[in-house]
Amino acid sequence: MANLLWLQGGACSGNTMSFLNAEEPSACDLVTDFGINVLWQPSLGLELGDDVKAILEKCISGEIKLDIFVFEGTVIDAPNGTGEWNRFCGRPMKEWVKELSEASDFVVAIGDCATWGGIPANAPNPTDSKGLQFLKRAKGGALGEGFTAKSGLPVINIPGCPAHPDWVTQILVAVATGRADDLTLDEFQRPKTFFSSFTQTGCTRNMHFAYKVSTTAFGQRKGCLFYDLGCRGPMTHSPCNRILWNRQSSKTRAGMPCLGCTEPEFPFFDLAPGTVFKTQTVMGVPKDMPTGVDKKGYVKLTAAAKGAAPAWAEEDIFVV
Amino acid sequence: MEDKASSPEDDALRDKIRTLLANGLETEVWPRAETSEMVNQIVNRLQTEAGDDLKKTLKIGGFTDHTITADDMEQPCETCMYYLVHRKFCELPELDVPVEPEWSCRLWRI
Ligand code: SF4
Ligand code: SF4
Ligand code: SF4
Repeated sequence: MANLLWLQGGACSGNTMSFLNAEEPSACDLVTDFGINVLWQPSLGLELGDDVKAILEKCISGEIKLDIFVFEGTVIDAPNGTGEWNRFCGRPMKEWVKELSEASDFVVAIGDCATWGGIPANAPNPTDSKGLQFLKRAKGGALGEGFTAKSGLPVINIPGCPAHPDWVTQILVAVATGRADDLTLDEFQRPKTFFSSFTQTGCTRNMHFAYKVSTTAFGQRKGCLFYDLGCRGPMTHSPCNRILWNRQSSKTRAGMPCLGCTEPEFPFFDLAPGTVFKTQTVMGVPKDMPTGVDKKGYVKLTAAAKGAAPAWAEEDIFVV
Repeated sequence: MEDKASSPEDDALRDKIRTLLANGLETEVWPRAETSEMVNQIVNRLQTEAGDDLKKTLKIGGFTDHTITADDMEQPCETCMYYLVHRKFCELPELDVPVEPEWSCRLWRI
């Protein structure tokens, strides 16, 4: 049996909502089939007030063995590094986070806020929000660059805004059933099993990407969303078109651009007006290229592919 | 599959545009839409000033009946992301006109 404790810092609860919708495995399967004992979770825990505090204190003292500490939301430092703007059970949350992380075998950050600050850490970051081990792309965060949990692993980052429920439950099962050694993490401590492919991997619009046929409005069946509507699918590491949302679909399949929510810079361009859902260009060429492609190669490929596009690629077509 | 380039309506409108440009319709060829902000400004003007007025659309869009080179890059409709190769048509909603592959406008993008 593995004891799991889940706390929330500067969060919207989106990752808890996502988690509760998990299907493979479901949140209930974690308990009944995979031996996870949920010590407390903000939406599931029955205890209130001092009873919650007692659980946290016992985890820190070792009276209760803490196997997995899950954190959702940012670690808030304001004002002036005190963390007083986010108090929980009588103390700044940041103090609980530090002590519980040190007491736990594994620490798992769920969602962009906990991984690298997400939307709350967007400039001007009034709450001095940080992720557990990153602030955007910079290493460090609330626990420091060198932090490792008792297992020897650093924080396992499962980003997303929110993270897909099955990414969360599958990683929790791997850790709880002693398969953490099978996890390999990328440079941002994301499990490679989910985050080495791109949102574009498996997107039903890849034919339109290849033939450079653009979507010009949301929800259009035809076309790729990269060229005009700012889709970040070719440069975002996520399995959104391999592990579908609600087991049914994905943003891009439904005609909505990928916003790049699993990358540390999300939300991109600091949400400046005119930058959301719009491909940013310099003299007609996209500012952000598909990963690994340079401007010269892009222009050549695009011109050639456009010329080779078959007629059907320009027609309305069912892509899901 | 039907080749939409043969639509008589498209052909007639394309001929009309060709004649307007050949007869010296002055359009705002420069400056090109160098940044995304400029793209937005031009698109806004097309929405608010041009509407369904063809001449205003061509003028604000900076249409030419030949290819313009900007920043060392040729900008023909033929390679533009809004161009439908088979229909020879510009699909940018604010323009939405039949074109020729060698034409150009300042909203060109690849
Ligand atoms: S819609 Fe986005 S993810 Fe899909 S093919 Fe186009 S760029 Fe890639
Ligand atoms: S499609 Fe993109 S924005 Fe949407 S959840 Fe996946 S990675 Fe995030
Ligand atoms: S937007 Fe592109 S296709 Fe349309 S007129 Fe301008 S250059 Fe041609």
